[in-house]
Amino acid sequence: MKWRRFRAIFHKEALHIMRDWRSLMMALAVPLVLLLLFGYALTLDVDRILTVIYDQDQTPQSRELVERFRGSRYFQIVPGPANYRTIVKHIDDSSALLGIVIPNDFAHRVESAQEAKVQLLLDGSDSNTASIAVGYAEALILAHSAELREQMLQRRGQGKLKMPVDVRIRVLYNNELKSKNFIVPGLIAVILMIIAALLTSLTIAREWENGTMEQLLSTPVRPTELLLGKLAAYFVLGMADMVISLIVGVGIFGVPLRGSTLLLIVSSALFLFGALCWGILLSTITRSQLLAYQLSLLSSFLPAFLLSGFIYSIDNMPFVIQQFTRIVPARYFVAILQGVFMKGTGLEVLWMQMLFLVMYGALVFTIAVRKMRQKMA
Amino acid sequence: MWERVTEIVRKEFRQTLREPRMRGILIGPPLLQMIVFGFAVNLDVTQVRLGWMDLDRSVESQEIRQRFVSNRTFVITAEAGSEREAQDLLDRGTVQGVVRIAPGFGADARGSRQTEIQVLLDGANSNTAAIVGNYAAAVISTRNKELLMAQQTRKLVGRTQNGPILLRIPSVQPERRVWFNPELKSRNYFVPGIIVNIITLVTLMLTALSIVREKEIGTMEQIMVTPIRPIELMLGKTIPFAIIGFLQMNLVTLIALTIFRVPLNGSYFLLAGASCLFLLSTLGAGLFMSTISDTQQQAMMATFFFFQPAFMLSGFAFPLRNMPQVVQWVTYLNPLRYFMEIVRGVFLKGSGLDVLWSQMVMLGVFGVTILFLSAQRFHKRLD
Amino acid sequence: MQPHEQFAVVLEHLTKRFGEFTAVDDVSLRVGKGEIFGFLGPNGAGKSTAIRILCGLLAPTSGQAWVHGFDVAREPERVKQSIGYMSQRFSLYDDLTVEENLDFFSGIYGVPRERRPERKAYALKMAGLESELPTMARLLSGGWKQRLALGCAILHEPPIVFLDEPTSGVDPIARRQFWDLIYAMAEGGTTVFVTTHYMEEAEYCHRLSLMYKGRTIALGTPKELKAAFGEDATMDDVFIDSIEREEARTA
Repeated sequence: MKWRRFRAIFHKEALHIMRDWRSLMMALAVPLVLLLLFGYALTLDVDRILTVIYDQDQTPQSRELVERFRGSRYFQIVPGPANYRTIVKHIDDSSALLGIVIPNDFAHRVESAQEAKVQLLLDGSDSNTASIAVGYAEALILAHSAELREQMLQRRGQGKLKMPVDVRIRVLYNNELKSKNFIVPGLIAVILMIIAALLTSLTIAREWENGTMEQLLSTPVRPTELLLGKLAAYFVLGMADMVISLIVGVGIFGVPLRGSTLLLIVSSALFLFGALCWGILLSTITRSQLLAYQLSLLSSFLPAFLLSGFIYSIDNMPFVIQQFTRIVPARYFVAILQGVFMKGTGLEVLWMQMLFLVMYGALVFTIAVRKMRQKMA
Repeated sequence: MWERVTEIVRKEFRQTLREPRMRGILIGPPLLQMIVFGFAVNLDVTQVRLGWMDLDRSVESQEIRQRFVSNRTFVITAEAGSEREAQDLLDRGTVQGVVRIAPGFGADARGSRQTEIQVLLDGANSNTAAIVGNYAAAVISTRNKELLMAQQTRKLVGRTQNGPILLRIPSVQPERRVWFNPELKSRNYFVPGIIVNIITLVTLMLTALSIVREKEIGTMEQIMVTPIRPIELMLGKTIPFAIIGFLQMNLVTLIALTIFRVPLNGSYFLLAGASCLFLLSTLGAGLFMSTISDTQQQAMMATFFFFQPAFMLSGFAFPLRNMPQVVQWVTYLNPLRYFMEIVRGVFLKGSGLDVLWSQMVMLGVFGVTILFLSAQRFHKRLD
Repeated sequence: MQPHEQFAVVLEHLTKRFGEFTAVDDVSLRVGKGEIFGFLGPNGAGKSTAIRILCGLLAPTSGQAWVHGFDVAREPERVKQSIGYMSQRFSLYDDLTVEENLDFFSGIYGVPRERRPERKAYALKMAGLESELPTMARLLSGGWKQRLALGCAILHEPPIVFLDEPTSGVDPIARRQFWDLIYAMAEGGTTVFVTTHYMEEAEYCHRLSLMYKGRTIALGTPKELKAAFGEDATMDDVFIDSIEREEARTA
């Protein structure tokens, strides 16, 4: 392999990239937009749940419970008259997610040490938010219940009796439970996939369509040189994007990076390499830019977005699809990303995923070279 | 005039159904979205993998374990004998949480002393963590009540002169009633939203592609030298895709009802009407896209990337309610947002025009505006 | 001395089939060093296919060919190092400037560092593009593109140059100027192998071969060919008559 020819191809690709506004847009604008969306705008966090509280009892005891809701960051009480009708109306027009009804015998039951029921009426259409919302509401009510018991025990002179079992819940890795802390790291995988798969899928097909491929084939350039030359140009772009994402994610959006930056860079490089080879492979075998683009969208970008565990956790997917995600390289990279950013884990935990990335890269590279040789012969 | 329009419409249908690329767009995305969002993406937390670290190994700690196991949500998949092992389990993601019982737990419980249990949660996926945390707290809370009652009985029996008092303990019990999606299936949340996505993607892209294709191969010029008027061309190019979009809406609805068993609690006609209004926006956008693209490839990329933010900010996957205020204001300009609310309202909530009238109005306003402006631009480009 | 050492290009019973279709049918010929050899024929006659085989872009189905002494089937890499190729679409990179295109091909062909500036200057002068270095290739008109493409093909001073329809779509004046360049190259010792479907360009070649349906139906100098068809015969006549004869023969 001649260094000189590789350099010529690399230089040419770099010029192409810089002059094609479409490529640049994809390479710079799209990642930034995605980062902005996921770092700032889009969130799966649940708080300030719009709640209507219908206190039928209106006693100090019921008001105590209402105050607990009012004081919680998870609930935002909707002002205005509250009764069954207004609850229904608010839930119907989505101006409230939750309706709480405290029955008129609440204080009586509490004082006479019986079970008092509190109704939680829930809009189930957004099931995810609803599940979490009702969980918080129930937890709050149970906590209040526990406190009431303690108070009663104190008053009856059995002050020594405390709650038998106290639950301490510790959330590891993401104790503010911010969804962006786990989404933004995984986003890096998606961004790299965009660069790698979508951009490179066009490059060779474009040369075929323009006729310049034929010209290239008549020159002494070798398949490996062509592959690596094109790859190198996009690799630089991809790594630049990765660094930008890192800086924006950590610096601007405050996503914690607890693990090794080196591991991050190495795994990104590996992933990028494999994804680039895949894009070039698609471009080589399809010869049509439009087709290559669609195929890479389908085989690289979409799986990375939907099936890599970057937003939607693989745990909850049906078994068949879970197995399918095993061949999605982004899955392993996202695991590494989330591990390095949030958990601060290192190679001893993530070695298997790294191994997969290495194998994937090697495999796709080999196939890409072979296909290119075939097409060039 | 209408004969000419009909001719174009007929030609469009023929071309669209013949060209593999177009056919692909008709079938691919709907199918894909339905598989992914109907089956794959599942936000419901149904099975939680738990690690168990019991350093006490007493009857009491076994009881607690029993409580967790009998709650069908939790599955104990690993045991940890030390802090390090527990940490490792969480680091590797083998379990989503670890319940940690320190030595002396049983003794404390028997001696009516307060004791504690730790639940370590993997906060990586914050929503799962929240749900798991709440579940765990509920399990322990129930156990607490039982223990307390037992304690009371033991301690108080024989205390009073009048005989044993069965002490009652106050407790506040939440009772949940879920409306509209009682099983809280995330599928019911996503699948209706797919309708919005599909109509948008298909009508937008196909409209833009069909116009740009003519530009690319040169037949546009050919058409322009005929007596055809721009308005006729526009109608001819948009009507077929309006029809296709409408048909797709019906198809997805049918599949949603039959295969996914998503309830349709509201009026089909409201849905159909809203779809028609929404189509005005997407077709208009398609026209616009065709005026800024010279090649089919550009058109595809422009539509895809230009509309990613629109999809993301429509409330499909990410609730609008929790977005920063500024972003929420921006979404008021997104027709997809209104259509999404209508679709979800009609399917799940059985909402009628009385609730959804403002969204319908917005759809109408946007539709007419976008279509009008795009048509102007299209017209200018042709002359 | 073997024929392929003596001659620049040698074809012996070269055949190329694509499934049922025979694109090149048992063609044998020899081109001497410094010759301008023309491949004439209508579209689809097999000219481009033959050139592609000679450039190492396609493998022959049967038969052999040597370019600059190297067997195209066995040593395509060495063939590629010894030739310059200008494809039918004068494939330049539209979004690169004149200079960048030249630099690129200079790198690809491995022009030695010391020779690079000199060769670049030479190509620019030959193409008349000295003042157009920063111009984007896509902004050049047909004639200029053609010459730039030629310039890119000869940077490494190849002994043999293959030009596939180099003048298609170019105005007659530019065409003439281009042929002046070809003559200059041939005089310098470069063998030029050209395909064309413009009959008048046939006159410019030293020798030519008429191809029709993959076969060589006539071979010789323009003078020889015209003589065989009578006084005042033009190349057009030669061409049409040959084809008619071939049709009659195979009917």
